[in-house]
Order: sequence, then structure tokens, then C-alpha cells
Amino acid sequence: MSETHTINAQLPNTRFPAAESPGSAPPRSVPARALRWTRWRSWAPPAITFAVAAALWQVLAVNNPYVIPTLNAVWGSLAGEPGMYWANLLVTLQEVVIGAGAGILFGFLLAVLMAELQIMERAIMPLIVVVMVTPVVAIAPALVVAFGFGMMPKYIVTALVVFFPMLVNSLAGLRDVDVRALDVMHTLHASRWEIFRDLRFPGCMPFVFAGLRIALPLAIVGAAVAEFVAAGQQAGLGSLVTIAAAQANLPVTWASIALLCLMGVALVSVLALVRKRVLWWSDGETVAR
Amino acid sequence: MAGVQVANVSKSFGTDSERTTVLDNVSMTINKGEFVSVIGPSGCGKSTLLKVIAGLIKADDGVVTVDGNTVTAATKDKLIGLVPQSPALLPWRTVLDNVSLPLTVNRRGNAGRKMRDPKELLSSFGLGQALEKYPAQLSGGMQQRAAIARAFVFDPSVLLMDEPFSALDEMNRDSQRLGLLEFWQSNRKTVLFVTHSVPEAIMLSDRIIVMAAHPGRIAEVIDVNLPRPRDADVYATDEFRDLEGAVRSTLRSVMEKKHV
Repeated sequence: MSETHTINAQLPNTRFPAAESPGSAPPRSVPARALRWTRWRSWAPPAITFAVAAALWQVLAVNNPYVIPTLNAVWGSLAGEPGMYWANLLVTLQEVVIGAGAGILFGFLLAVLMAELQIMERAIMPLIVVVMVTPVVAIAPALVVAFGFGMMPKYIVTALVVFFPMLVNSLAGLRDVDVRALDVMHTLHASRWEIFRDLRFPGCMPFVFAGLRIALPLAIVGAAVAEFVAAGQQAGLGSLVTIAAAQANLPVTWASIALLCLMGVALVSVLALVRKRVLWWSDGETVAR
Repeated sequence: MAGVQVANVSKSFGTDSERTTVLDNVSMTINKGEFVSVIGPSGCGKSTLLKVIAGLIKADDGVVTVDGNTVTAATKDKLIGLVPQSPALLPWRTVLDNVSLPLTVNRRGNAGRKMRDPKELLSSFGLGQALEKYPAQLSGGMQQRAAIARAFVFDPSVLLMDEPFSALDEMNRDSQRLGLLEFWQSNRKTVLFVTHSVPEAIMLSDRIIVMAAHPGRIAEVIDVNLPRPRDADVYATDEFRDLEGAVRSTLRSVMEKKHV
């Protein structure tokens, strides 16, 4: 039953005693066959969904050759010019990393400022809401006019898209303090900095990661939209989509879209891995408050 | 003056039209090394009184001193240890790091006092095996013990406990309360203990303050003259039962008066 043992070993934080944590069932030894079935059950349904979707796609593509390309045509395009796709992907990735990085940092810092100084929220929040309800798609061309066809407008658009969910989530997290832990800190006459360092900052991380989960896919949207506006002036997958679509080059269009999609999946997966390492304590049942 | 002095403290919440007086001219003294319980119906302001002494709520009127200092000065010098209603441990810190927390904040207040070794303290609380565990891995009773250790670790002169065992089941409660009794009897601190359990108040206290509600005020003070050190045998004594009867009848009359 070595498989059961490895499963136990992966759960170092098993809550105990079992009686006090109704949510967590005690680890049972499962027969190997049942275990294989359980695993199969976890990956098979989505795999079937994907297979059916791919088959449908293929049928549609074969019958409508001028609307969507076949999967093998898309794959052929990717395999035929890997260097070209890679170069464009790196450009978009750079926009996402730098733009989202700036947006995340700025959003978090502003959230800290607002959480510590109530008046800052009252002063700045209305302006931010006004900026945020303005469609990014509308702002992007204006930014290109202002900052030219270089990377700068792309960074700004990406940062702008990421900024708001980060700000809102971080602010909610910084405010979601265990008031009783806060009471303990106050009777110790802990300084603001100490309360931030020991209580608010680690405590807001679940919210920050929830914000990142929304922000990172949005960052790709931001980068792609910014590239659409100035298509052809710079490389990038979004730019590639626009150019290829204008030339009715379906395989390249869809190959670029697929790469944008894979990039999103990769970012979200990395985020999930980091979250698991950083936020192990907030998974499962939370501590009784 | 050592101990806690509360003189003519009043506190009300709300706006003029819907103003509720939570504390109405409350005065009391807790002598140094004395264990005083506050008991009363809900809404009698016992938790508010504790929070005023802890410096978490400002009184509208009246004066509180802790070891002769104002409450603010007392918190600056880390004279007050608070055990809140829930353990309020930080889930991302181990038990040891949670209990060490008071040593690492407001270091200026550490000057000229001897801190306890958190490891030794946790061992004497029966948590020696749980130093590196995280709060979520502990039972409710163990979490609450860790929270009490966190209040003892920086050797404050006054301990304020706000119904620390209220979330535990009765059997667990009893063993936690006996553990606290045993530890306190060898480490006499000035304690204000808010509870709504009559046996708990009698078991632990030197004096019981019975409060009445609407407005919150002190109705009666009952001395507990049971010999110390006490242990679980006290429950079975006649003196204990007499006291329990007295406290319960006082509480009953306090509750009835409310409806008049």
C-alpha cells in the first residue's frame, strides 16, 4: 500500500484530533484498485471534454475551410516556424511581466497607503474608479499616441488592467485582520509597523493571491489589446494575430491565439504552485477564530 | 499603587436618540496578586470593562490606573497581558513563534524585566510536544492554552482574560480551568477574569464581582474564602456549594430587576 503512504506524507498538516475538525476525514487505507479508479476519475472527464471539443473543431474546420483552420494546419504552422513564434511570444511575455509587475506593485503599495491612512482612500479612490470604468480598449489608442509605438504604451496598458483588482483585493486583505489578534497587539503597544509586519502583511496574502489569480490572465488581455492598436510596429503575439487575420492567414492567427492561451495557463499554473508554498496555512479549514 | 484601580468609569455607545449606557459609574479595585472574576448577564458591560482596562476602548468618564500608571503608560511598559475570547493565534506561525510574538514587538517595553523562556513556559502548559506545530494542528483547548502562554510570556503584572474558555466544551473547559488555576497559584498575577460560568468564577477567584445590565453596573461583590491552593476537590465541598447558591441567587435577582 505504498501509494496510500505517499498520500499521507503529502498531508503534513492533517488537522487533529479528528473529532474537532468535521471537515477532514481521517486518512483511510484505500485498496489499490479503488485508488486507480479515483485517479482515473480525476483526469478522465476533462480529457474527454477536450477530446470532444477538438473533434468538433476538426469537423467544423474541414467543412468551413475559410472560417477556421484544421488543428493539423495550426500545428503545422507552429512546427514550421518555431523561432518566429518564440520571438513574438517573448515580446508579449516581456510586456506581461514588466507591465503586470509594475501594476501589482503599485496596486499593493497604494492599498497599504489606503489601509493605513483612511483619508487617502477617500481622496484617491473616486479618481481610480473613474479611470477603471473607462474601457482599456479605448485608452490604448490614446496611450499609443502619447507614448509612441514602443513598449511603453504596452507596459502602461498591462499595468492599468492589473492595478485595480490588485488594489481592491489587497485593501480587503489588509482590512481583514483578526480583531482579537489586533487587540493583543494593541495591549502590547505594538507600533503600526509591527502590526503591519506581523499581522496585516502575512494576513492579507490569501486576498493578494486571489487578486493575482484575476490579474494575471487580465495582464495578457492588456498586452494583447495594446499590441492590436499598434499592430505591425512591434512584435508580439497580439500583433501577430491582427496581421495574420488581416491577411486571412488562419493557421497563423489561430496558432498565435493558442500560444496566448497557453501563456495564460502557464502563468496561472505557476501562480498556483507559488500559492501552495506560501499559503499552505490558509488552505482547508481556517483556524477557529 | 499596585494592582488595578477603576474609579467612576462610565461608557455609552450610540448617538443621542439611541444611546445605551454600557458602564454606569463603575468603581472597583483589584489588589496586586488578586484573582477577581466578573460575572453577569449579557449586556452588563463586563467585556467593555475589560477592554477599557486593556486600553482598547476609551471610557467617557472616570479613571483607570494599572500599577499606578495610566492605561496608555501601562501598555507602553507592557504591564498588561490580554487573553481574548478566542485564541487569536496567527495561523502562519508555529506555536512557539506565536508565544514569542510579545517578546518581539514594542521592544522598548522589555527593558528592565525578565522574560520567560517561551519553550519552558509552553512545556509547563503541557505544550512541550507542540512547539513546532501550527495552530490549526492543535485542539481548541491547546490553542487556548497557547494563547494564555502568550499572555504570560512577557511577565506582565496584570492579566486580563475575556471568557477564555467559552468556546470549549464543558469537560475540556474544566481541565483548562484547573490548568490555569494550578499555573496561577505558582505565578500569582493580578487577574481580571470575565466569565459567565458560576463554578468557574468560584473555583478560580478571590472575589467575584456580579454585574447588572441596562445600564451596566456593579450589583454585588462576593468574597470567595475557599482556602488555597485549590484543586478539583473543591467542587465537592459544602463551602463551594454554599457560594454557588449565593452567586446564583444574586445573579437571579440581578436578572429579575432588569425586567421591572
